[in-house]
Amino acid sequence: MRAELVLMGRRVDMAPQAHRRALVVLIYATLTVMMVGLFFADHWRVTGYYLVLATGLINRFFLGGYNFGGLVKPFSGKPPRRSEAPPFLLLALRIYHAEPGDREYRSDERELQQRDRAHYQAYQTLVIVLALLWLLTSWNTFKPQLLAWLPMSPDLVVYGLVLAAIVVALTLPQCILLWTEPDMEEEA
Amino acid sequence: MNNTPQKGPGESGLYNRIAVLRAERGISRQDLADAMDVNYQTIGFLERGDYSPSLKLALALGEYFGLPVEAIFSREPFQPLSEQVYGTFAIKSAPKNKIDSRDPNES
Repeated sequence: MRAELVLMGRRVDMAPQAHRRALVVLIYATLTVMMVGLFFADHWRVTGYYLVLATGLINRFFLGGYNFGGLVKPFSGKPPRRSEAPPFLLLALRIYHAEPGDREYRSDERELQQRDRAHYQAYQTLVIVLALLWLLTSWNTFKPQLLAWLPMSPDLVVYGLVLAAIVVALTLPQCILLWTEPDMEEEA
Repeated sequence: MNNTPQKGPGESGLYNRIAVLRAERGISRQDLADAMDVNYQTIGFLERGDYSPSLKLALALGEYFGLPVEAIFSREPFQPLSEQVYGTFAIKSAPKNKIDSRDPNES
């Protein structure tokens, strides 16, 4: 895990656990507000795609885990893909990075253990969401009268739950890591 | 941030002498981490006993310090090195207020 976040050229110290926890709270608060707001916009018909895209961007710039950006090292442990494009194009697009060091993307044995534990914990949460989905679809198909009290169409509830599950699946392992890792010590 | 010596076995249930051995040799955590090919944070976790290393890492630490693994890791608390080298003489002749490791029940 990286100890600092670079946001628009500014370095933010993320070594203290409190800073990382604040970031996790902020991210989930933003995603919740987005999800509720976008429901009122168009019932996630089109904005559902934007929500998943926003989650990808949050991973890219804040959380990491899936690519070379954010606080958590890539889960795959593989080096970032090298572009074959000529350097002037990369410079024009401002996506040229210095070659990252080996330690920047490769996790050691303790970090791999933490990564696996975080995925296990996230999986447990997802199983609960899946069980809820099964229950909802089951009632919706075989006993629709049980869902008559819902203020909206049961299909929409299922759709919203699937959307929430995707957002949680994409972010929860990284958030568990950021939440549980204690204060990071200074390099010495 | 937390550089206090290991007081208990930590989450791993293992006692270790990594911090002492590192201090004796004047090696920084980063130097040791580079030699072991791990993150420097992992060395901190090891020293506090909060992480139980793989056999590969434990053997690598043994090779690095030139010591058997059991001289670095133990399931029982380690006897202080000064006590091991000089026996109880070092403890008996030392001023009482400077002794930290002595068992208060010991005569």
